[in-house]
Amino acid sequence: MRALTRYTLLSWATVAAILTAWWALTALGFGARFALPSPGDLAREVSVLAAQGYAQQPLSTHVLASLKRTLIGLGVGLAVGIPLGLWMGTSRTVFAILAPVFSFLRPIPPIAFIPLMILYFGIGEFSKVFLIFMAALSYVLLHAVAGVRSVPQDLLSAGRNLGLTRGKLFRHVVFPAALPHILTGVKTATAISWAIVVAAELIAAQAGLGFMVMDATTFFRVPDVYIGILIIGLIGVTLEFVTRAIERSLLHWQGR
Amino acid sequence: MTAAIALRGVGKVFAPSARGQSPFVALDNVDLAVEAREIVAVVGPSGCGKTTILKLVAGFDVPTSGKVMVNGRPIEPPGPDRALVFQSPALFDWLTVADNVIFGPRHRGEPKTDYLARAGELIGAVGLAGWERHYPYQLSGGMRQRVQLARALINRPAVLLMDEPFGALDAQTRSRMQELLLRIWAAYHPTVLIVTHDVEEALLLAHRVYVMTRAPGHIKSCVSVPFGHPRGVDLVGTAEFAALKYSIVKSLWEENA
Repeated sequence: MRALTRYTLLSWATVAAILTAWWALTALGFGARFALPSPGDLAREVSVLAAQGYAQQPLSTHVLASLKRTLIGLGVGLAVGIPLGLWMGTSRTVFAILAPVFSFLRPIPPIAFIPLMILYFGIGEFSKVFLIFMAALSYVLLHAVAGVRSVPQDLLSAGRNLGLTRGKLFRHVVFPAALPHILTGVKTATAISWAIVVAAELIAAQAGLGFMVMDATTFFRVPDVYIGILIIGLIGVTLEFVTRAIERSLLHWQGR
Repeated sequence: MTAAIALRGVGKVFAPSARGQSPFVALDNVDLAVEAREIVAVVGPSGCGKTTILKLVAGFDVPTSGKVMVNGRPIEPPGPDRALVFQSPALFDWLTVADNVIFGPRHRGEPKTDYLARAGELIGAVGLAGWERHYPYQLSGGMRQRVQLARALINRPAVLLMDEPFGALDAQTRSRMQELLLRIWAAYHPTVLIVTHDVEEALLLAHRVYVMTRAPGHIKSCVSVPFGHPRGVDLVGTAEFAALKYSIVKSLWEENA
């Protein structure tokens, strides 16, 4: 416990050092003020944004717009990707049919598809959600396949030896044994989805945190650019924290 | 009386796994029988096909030639009447001790009151009372093997198939597990076919010991162990035991030459 608090303290010390360095730089007049606002400038601007919103919309609208796109795309991606991955891991035939598609798509950075998405679906909600869906799907699918393949042969033998039918073997042995891999996939897919929504909004959106950052840059509202980035980071950290907590509670039996 | 397990002229040939290799003859004309309520051990040099025998009886594989019978009937696909105990504990890590033990009867849809009562008794019999709600990661290697033993016995198997069940344990835990198995046998008289490379273990536990040759494995000799039950680990200190052990070890030594 003592060691833990010591390390936590070190981490806070890093945060404090960065903030101090930032404040010192701006106070001493290093760097152009338009490129690097001071902590005080930012704090003032946060209260302005909180009161007036950005681009005639409250700040919460931008946050919720980004979150909604992410969570819908991610949710549908997981709902399709996990079962499909489990199926591919179980059936060599299904794997043989689908593997070429996903093996080809996966190494392509999802944001490379943004122009195509706009071409197909326009700049509305669907193109962004669909892009996130595709990315989440392909990442979680990969991990679900690996999860099924990693189930130890002895466990499968034990299940069959205890008289389980194929369906029950899948439900009560294969799925729980593959769960750690699947949850790793969920964590990765969540992080990637959040990165993609911001990228997609940078290019084409009327609301959202990515839109706010891009728009603020265009109109030279530099503090707003920083604030947008900070909010994106804070939400990213929160998403990671939440997925980790879910993982820990579902995998408590790993004893970590 | 029909034997609980009988192998008659069993051969097993594995197809070559790569081009240019010849087929591997794992078993050649193996005759072996286990009577009901008997503990039979199979010892042999590594790679002699001991484990293949268990796989055939368990129904995970089919013989290339000959017959494998359980209670006078040809073997069926894997089932709980031939309960396997693996060298690795092969427990379901996401389930508690109690849920691991009842795994088979629960998912076969047997009456709950029935198997819960048996589980309570068996968990006590393997010395895990009070650990029912623990998870495998919280148990020692020996305790995990106890869970596995209870998980197998709850199915009231016609035969308990044990594949080097104590091979991965340290020496002290191993002898305690051997004593436990002897106590379990005294209480329930399960039919046991145990495969091991440890001659001492075979002589301590079994009524009869089959000695195998190296691959292609066949039965070299069958030794009736003259010691009565109940037995204890102190048996290994007697001169008779040492003499018997020496003769088998010597016989195996010839195989490794």
